[in-house]
Amino acid sequence: MSKNPKTITNEVMDRIEKGKITMRPRIYFVLGSVLVFVGLVATVIVSVFLISLMRFVLRAHGPMGQYRYEALLASFPWWALILTCLGLVAGIKLLRHYDFSYKKNFLVIVIGFIAVVFAAGWFIDATGLDAIWLQKGPMRGIMRRYIDNETKKIPKGGRIR
Amino acid sequence: MPDYKKYTDEKLVEHIRKNNKELFREIMRRYEDKLMRYATYLLRDYHMSKDTVQESFIKAYMNLFGFDISKKFSSWIYRIVHNEAMNVLQKNKNEIPLPDHDFKDDTDIEMEIEQKEMKQKITHCLEKLPVIYSEPLALYFLEEKSYEEIGDILRLPQGTVATRINRAKSYMKHLCQKTQRQ
Repeated sequence: MSKNPKTITNEVMDRIEKGKITMRPRIYFVLGSVLVFVGLVATVIVSVFLISLMRFVLRAHGPMGQYRYEALLASFPWWALILTCLGLVAGIKLLRHYDFSYKKNFLVIVIGFIAVVFAAGWFIDATGLDAIWLQKGPMRGIMRRYIDNETKKIPKGGRIR
Repeated sequence: MPDYKKYTDEKLVEHIRKNNKELFREIMRRYEDKLMRYATYLLRDYHMSKDTVQESFIKAYMNLFGFDISKKFSSWIYRIVHNEAMNVLQKNKNEIPLPDHDFKDDTDIEMEIEQKEMKQKITHCLEKLPVIYSEPLALYFLEEKSYEEIGDILRLPQGTVATRINRAKSYMKHLCQKTQRQ
């Protein structure tokens, strides 16, 4: 192999001229950015929803007696907790794609992201915005199914809230 | 015919995107030696560095529409080489031999020998530094990049770059003194 580094230029140009290497079209990168953004927004929405759902479940069981604690553990939506964790991890990974992310301390971005998701989840639950999600939002199916299942477990005259 | 040699990298990229493929040769002419030096420093092997730089140019060409023209092209292409070199290092852990290639400057023989000796001493010290310290140091002193550019290449905040360079200097001082005593 020749040690002349100039051969790199000739080799690459040769492949470009023969059409062996082609530029990816602009749309490829536009779509990529759009998908990353949509993915990030989706993970935030799903995580916020799941956190508000978990808060709702905790409140629905009232003060912590031993019986209630066991009932809470039995009916706690662990899938929501796992999905929230996965959503947060996916959101953090997607954030890394954005140019600004490396210019700031990444630990601050991660803590900020998690704090924002938890704060939004708490806010939605505290202000009753989750009722809107329940009636109109994209998650209404999941929330409705969860409440229906829980209602079936409660004896007549009981309350879930 | 316009004098493309006077064009900035970013302007050249704009023209290449408009189907003036031949201008990519000018981009490679500008960066080939610099990137070879950088890759050789990271990989310490001429052939691996050549493959890495070639692969980086191919990736840069394929992803030219992904480059944001408002940013510095040099940081972008150095970043690609950095990523490629890191992949090679990962694949060839513990298999990186010592350098077998050197780049000549246009200076007289005496100066060249002096510089070579100095370079050897520095390279020897640099080799002992962990890559997280030696890479920003090499970019700053050997490639003459600013803190901002190093941050863009290594995807690090400028504060971290400054800290690593300062720590690297202290380590270097310590290591070079140790080497001289031996």
